[in-house]
Amino acid sequence: MPVDEKTLTEREKELALQFQATKDRLRETKRQVAMVMDLNKCIGCQLCSMACKSLWTSLEGREYMWWNKVNTLPGKGSPKDWERKGGGYKVLFGGKVRDPVRGELPTRRDFGDMWKYNFDEVFTGKAGEKVLRAQNPDGSDPDWGMNWDEDQGGGTYPNAFYFYLPRICNHCTYPACVDACPRNAIYKREEDGAVVIDQQRCKGYRFCLESCPYKVIYFNFVTKTSMKCIFCYPRLEQKVATACARQCTGRVRFLGFLDDVNGPIHKLVKVWKVALPLHPEYGTEPNVYYIPPLAPPRLDEEGKIDLTKPRIPPAYLRFLFGPEVDAALATLNKELEKVRGGGKSDLMDILMAKQWLDLFGPFRTDPATLERKPPREQKA
Amino acid sequence: MPEETQKLEKVLVKKVAASGQDLLNPNASVWASAPALRIDMAATPLANQPSPYIKATYDETKIGAIKEITVRALHNGKEIFFHFEWKSPSPNYEIGDVGTFPDGVAVLLPFKDPAQTQIKEMGSKDFPTNSWYWRPDFENKPKNQVAHGLSTSLYTETTPLVSRSEWQNGTWRVVMGRPLQVQEEAVNLSPGIATAVGFAAWEGANGERGGVKSFSKEWRDLVLEA
Repeated sequence: MPVDEKTLTEREKELALQFQATKDRLRETKRQVAMVMDLNKCIGCQLCSMACKSLWTSLEGREYMWWNKVNTLPGKGSPKDWERKGGGYKVLFGGKVRDPVRGELPTRRDFGDMWKYNFDEVFTGKAGEKVLRAQNPDGSDPDWGMNWDEDQGGGTYPNAFYFYLPRICNHCTYPACVDACPRNAIYKREEDGAVVIDQQRCKGYRFCLESCPYKVIYFNFVTKTSMKCIFCYPRLEQKVATACARQCTGRVRFLGFLDDVNGPIHKLVKVWKVALPLHPEYGTEPNVYYIPPLAPPRLDEEGKIDLTKPRIPPAYLRFLFGPEVDAALATLNKELEKVRGGGKSDLMDILMAKQWLDLFGPFRTDPATLERKPPREQKA
Repeated sequence: MPEETQKLEKVLVKKVAASGQDLLNPNASVWASAPALRIDMAATPLANQPSPYIKATYDETKIGAIKEITVRALHNGKEIFFHFEWKSPSPNYEIGDVGTFPDGVAVLLPFKDPAQTQIKEMGSKDFPTNSWYWRPDFENKPKNQVAHGLSTSLYTETTPLVSRSEWQNGTWRVVMGRPLQVQEEAVNLSPGIATAVGFAAWEGANGERGGVKSFSKEWRDLVLEA
């Protein structure tokens, strides 16, 4: 039963306005850094996941976290069935009202938990006697992981299909987590719009995990606080691209300011309109966008190429990226045809990214050239 | 411990000649000498939730599973201890999973004039509050908090608080206490003074945490025997 606005006292109305003003302030940004991921180039190698893990999530209760992960689609993703756990907003009156939607909390096993391996047994045991196996912290056998349903996909032979979906925090324009936190611990950074959780203010109540429709927030059982992708903001401050973007071997990830009209992000999102947010109906306005997957052509019953229908069911792509996906795919196909016919396409030039650094907008600095000190020396 | 509780207006903190260690034991016989106050607890008003998400998606009628707590308090001239008893059919001791919330109980004290300190808002900028926050996963070191209004409470770096607790047959028995005078940012107390006190309790199994809890809607007098 939601609050009946008519029954509020004057003081309650005053407080509500104050709280609303605080949330507006926490969402305010001067500029927004955004990312575009080209799903046609992702090979699911998880180099992005490993770059993120070695940089941010290898210690102190973060071990089981994947601030960056690559899920196989169609699939249940991680945490398992995250798309069925609610959260986000119901957008009303053309975006004038965002009505929060109740979400559910995943379990640590839905995330995949932190497996322990019997390295000692295998190392010291007799050859062939012991095999390497993983266990959940409670001793049970793992039954989910960050890409557990890898390459299973959907469809049937000869028209089976799958593609990869790399996921990070979407650093939304209307982050459900910012609204959810009763402690005002979550905010968007003014200078780049990265959504971050103030670890000093967070008390681990997990309303943010509940409300995030993308379920990209993790609970740290050691620090008893919630944690998530920070858009590598310490790197952005030094004009270095995020670790996931620099490490990507497929040149999948574009990075830059959304309002930089000369940058690839603006061109892909605003001009060509081929980069789309995941589940726009969640109402949070993500700042991570995806170039939808084209997939190889369908084969008919005789095994011949059938161009009358796409291999990936359009309804599935509409489910993921909204109705705009039809126009985006049409544009991509049209521009692709141009190039196949020997012509030139500005869009394909951007997507091919022959110059690696062109992916990163203003974030081109090589981190190896920065003068850095180990954290211990920095503190001293 | 006598089952019957007296209906008192205030929390009278009698002075006893007992050691801190003794008082810290929820089953110590010394607690039989403490007047018990039964306090009705109510759901925190949804309208006051600082989170638009909670306000829009939670149901006030389902908040506040703990309807009543019994409070006793004693001091020994140097230290003060609160003794709590309440029914909790399925205790939550720790954060075992993402969806598990530990039980809890807290004491709220105004730094200044109670009449000008809103208990429903945990004080304000000019009239802050001090809370003593016990949870079974805090390993007998309850948190000392200072708040300047809803959503502002912060733990102090160190805590002067200690606790002991047990859960048996559907009932939590918790004692938490500290020296009357402490170094931390907290409300200092002394024999003979009168101030006000409020309480909060969380039923973890009902998903209660943070501002989603039950609380005593009004301040009660807190009187320390000289």
